Amino acid sequence: MEIPMKKRITDERNTPGKKALTVFFAVISVLWMMPIVIVLYNSLKTNGAVNTQLFVLPNAETFVGFDNYINGMTFGNYPFYLSAAYSVFITLASTFLILLCTSMAAWYISRVSDTFSKVVYYLCVFSMVVPFQMVMFTLANTARDLHLDTPWTIPVVYLGFGAGLAVFMFVGFVKSIPIDIEEAAAIDGCGPLRTFFSVVLPMMKPTLISVGVLEIMWVWNDYLLPYLVLDVTKYKTIPIHIQYLQGSYGKVDLGATMALIILSLLPIVIFYLTCQKHIIKGVAAGAVKG
Amino acid sequence: MKKLLAVLLTLAMLLGMVSLASADETGKVYYLNFKPEADQAWQDLAKLYTEQTGVEVKVLTAASGTYSDTLTAEMEKKDAAPTLFQIGNAEGVATWADYALKLDGTDLMNEMTTADFNLKNANGDTVAVGYCYEAYGIITNVALLQKAGHSLDEIKDFASLKAVADDIHARAAELGFDAFTSAGLDGSSSWRFSGHLTNMPLFYEFRDDGITEQPATVKGTYLNAYKNIWDLYITDSAADPAKLSGYTGGAAEDEFINGQAVFFQNGTWEFATLTEKGMKAEELTMLPIYCGVEGEENAALCAGTENCWAVNAKASEADQKATLDFLKWVVTSEEGTKMMAEQFGPIPFKSAKEPENVFFKVANEYLAAGKYVVTWAFNFTPDVDNWRAGIVSALEQYSAGTADWGEVEYAFVDGWAKCYEATH
Amino acid sequence: MKKKGRKAAGAVTSPLIRRPIQRQFAIFLLPTFLCFCIGFLWPFIQGIYLSFNKFSTISNTSWVGFGNYVKAFQDDGFRHAFGFTAMVAVTSLVLINVLAFAVAFALTKSIRGSNLFRGVFFVPNLIGGIVLGYIWKTLINSVLPVSMSIQVNYGFWGLIVVMCWQQIGYMMIIYIAGLQAVPEDMLEAAKIDGASGWKTLWHIILPNVMPSITICTFLSLTNGFKLYDQNLVLTNGAPVRRGVGMTEMLALNIANNFTTANQRGVAQAKAVLFFILVTTIALVQLRLTRSKEVQQ
Repeated sequence: MEIPMKKRITDERNTPGKKALTVFFAVISVLWMMPIVIVLYNSLKTNGAVNTQLFVLPNAETFVGFDNYINGMTFGNYPFYLSAAYSVFITLASTFLILLCTSMAAWYISRVSDTFSKVVYYLCVFSMVVPFQMVMFTLANTARDLHLDTPWTIPVVYLGFGAGLAVFMFVGFVKSIPIDIEEAAAIDGCGPLRTFFSVVLPMMKPTLISVGVLEIMWVWNDYLLPYLVLDVTKYKTIPIHIQYLQGSYGKVDLGATMALIILSLLPIVIFYLTCQKHIIKGVAAGAVKG
Repeated sequence: MKKLLAVLLTLAMLLGMVSLASADETGKVYYLNFKPEADQAWQDLAKLYTEQTGVEVKVLTAASGTYSDTLTAEMEKKDAAPTLFQIGNAEGVATWADYALKLDGTDLMNEMTTADFNLKNANGDTVAVGYCYEAYGIITNVALLQKAGHSLDEIKDFASLKAVADDIHARAAELGFDAFTSAGLDGSSSWRFSGHLTNMPLFYEFRDDGITEQPATVKGTYLNAYKNIWDLYITDSAADPAKLSGYTGGAAEDEFINGQAVFFQNGTWEFATLTEKGMKAEELTMLPIYCGVEGEENAALCAGTENCWAVNAKASEADQKATLDFLKWVVTSEEGTKMMAEQFGPIPFKSAKEPENVFFKVANEYLAAGKYVVTWAFNFTPDVDNWRAGIVSALEQYSAGTADWGEVEYAFVDGWAKCYEATH
Repeated sequence: MKKKGRKAAGAVTSPLIRRPIQRQFAIFLLPTFLCFCIGFLWPFIQGIYLSFNKFSTISNTSWVGFGNYVKAFQDDGFRHAFGFTAMVAVTSLVLINVLAFAVAFALTKSIRGSNLFRGVFFVPNLIGGIVLGYIWKTLINSVLPVSMSIQVNYGFWGLIVVMCWQQIGYMMIIYIAGLQAVPEDMLEAAKIDGASGWKTLWHIILPNVMPSITICTFLSLTNGFKLYDQNLVLTNGAPVRRGVGMTEMLALNIANNFTTANQRGVAQAKAVLFFILVTTIALVQLRLTRSKEVQQ
């Protein structure tokens, strides 16, 4: 896998054309972030102001500091930190499970390549196309029958439903790994497990990252699946918690909703900022060989 | 010794079996609650009941807008399905007919003061009891009305309502307030017009034709009345009729609270919010919705309910009995009736407590004066959400001028027929 | 087939390692396959079975054969959603990919701040959820003379705008990687030969970036067809003319059917049809673009 580090297609740096591009993109970037910025400063306004003047910056009258955050977190009789904890656990556990199992499965599929594994591969690709609504009820039912309806067991459901995309991307990547190294390991006496964990997996790092990012985004923001499968009196996740802020007759505490959205964005943004380089490199490298 | 041991063991086993059996017999209650705001009150009440009687009561509240999906999912749990749930209208009865226990003759029904709010299945059996009733109409800020130089006595029918509203609207700049709050068609507000307001043409048509159960089609005979009142709402208001989907329920409420409008169509449930945010009970009253129908001077407010209790017919007998006992306790005990009065207003049971809501006093005054109740005919709507969505979109296009009233008529009449067909 | 050490060039598998791995099926493939059956395959098959039934809850079904499918085809809303969804999918596919490629192209030249820009463009992809759609809806509606739920054009373009905002970042990253993998020597050779910018782009860069194009078109195509959240929030299918939601896409149409008891069987049937449609299109697309890839 030779992707040179700082490859440039052209060499010159500071021509006027380049400067213009920088300015251009700077403007676009600001506009690009607008919707998020709007959610941010709305979370600091009173409910009424959010309703009637969405785009106005908070002024002395409408600024309420962290009130919305506190309201959102203490609303109802379910503590927010618990929802957050469940969200974190489910996201991390599901992602870990998916990455581990599907990478192994993808390696198997590429290297063994018999009829059965080809069938599994195509089933996986097909599954990426199915709309969630089609399997919504039946999936929730099956999950409950098999007692998969707790946060500790729901990762199995996520593995099942998310296997499609992950296997697809991993298989694409594994195909490009030269087989010599694995053969060398086999000749040296490594069994498949050792070969996989010491030779193949490290080489798959970029794809692991890119698939990992996709899965984390999906599970963290997912509302329907946990709502239908989990016993909601006991276990809530952040998206479910936000939905409960809605009273009947559509009355929504918008300020608190905005606040909770910002809170639910925070871990993602922090995760992204700290791993930005790896994430972007991973997505790039992992995807191009698919 | 051995014999003694054997006897003791047998006794222990028997006792164990008896306690197991009696545990089975006491049954348990599982209530799937509809109103998120009442969740805490129900949890507290359930705990109290369990302390007093030892019967297990579990209350789960569905997230707003998800009751139907949640109920469907919960009912799939064969041994842990809800024993008590809510049916709102005829469509609910059609969907859950197999799951609703017949309630005629139970203690609970004997406690009721009226059967007007109950739901019946196709055979005429009562399958759900309305446990509270609400009324809606045009909430009026009397103080503002007087500031505009008008009085309540002036408004007796549509013509007089229009006269007053037109006058206020014409002088809105000078007065500093307008006649009607925004008629928002955003999801948080549109149900007032696609549901509550459509009740007017539906009620009068059903009254004329003597309809007492869900009809397969409607004629729309009183749609011109609906047009009258809708035109009034969008003309005599400060809101831009071309952008109604941008106005939320919260916005209309705030406009009313901030004294920006005199009239606000909504219901008795608003009383708590309005008074908490600073309005005074003396300033508030509720007018019937006049729309230009003959004889409407004798109309009272629109009263009814979408809150009816149903007991799971597929639950065990012990659970059913436990549930009915729990309900009877709720409507007769001190704590239960107090909670119901606070959360739900007047309940049609013999031991009910008086709620403090001014709007209910007004509703009762109308009744005492012999005016006719406008019942909730819209409870008969088939495939409610889809029918209303059609009406909302039609109203929006009509108000913006991109479609004519025919679009609303289509959504009302043809939409009803299609929705009926879809659900049967 | 046990010729040790002999394999075709670029082989994916080799007899040497194949058997040992195959024997460890239970460790490598079984867990995934099992969960896949539980989490997808079985519900899917059940879903197909249900499409031939009329039901309100799964324990309460009655067989109706192809009745649901007939109803699905007769449904004006479904047929319209079909055409509208195709339009949205194709338009968004073209726009997202062209724009993402353009941005990627620009950001692989050495301009100041390109790393920062890449980060910024990627952020919307991190955010899911319906409330962001609400913000966009308010934003767009306040700028337009008439709201999106009244004018079909506005509704259409509103959808496209939000989709582009969310997806361009991710596709851009993939394109950047693809661009960076174009062999230097080919570019040098082109420059020496005096080829113009366009010629270079068309004949050298694009064929080498094909793998990225394959992935991106597949992802944006399927995303476009499956779109639900933003459709629900932006217009909810409005305006409704003569009972047909003019901006209703297939997923929304199917979901609405689910909320109506007794229509759930029809909804399942529609979902099956939807699945067949999208699979066919995706397969065709994959075939087309894979055949154009230059083997590295």
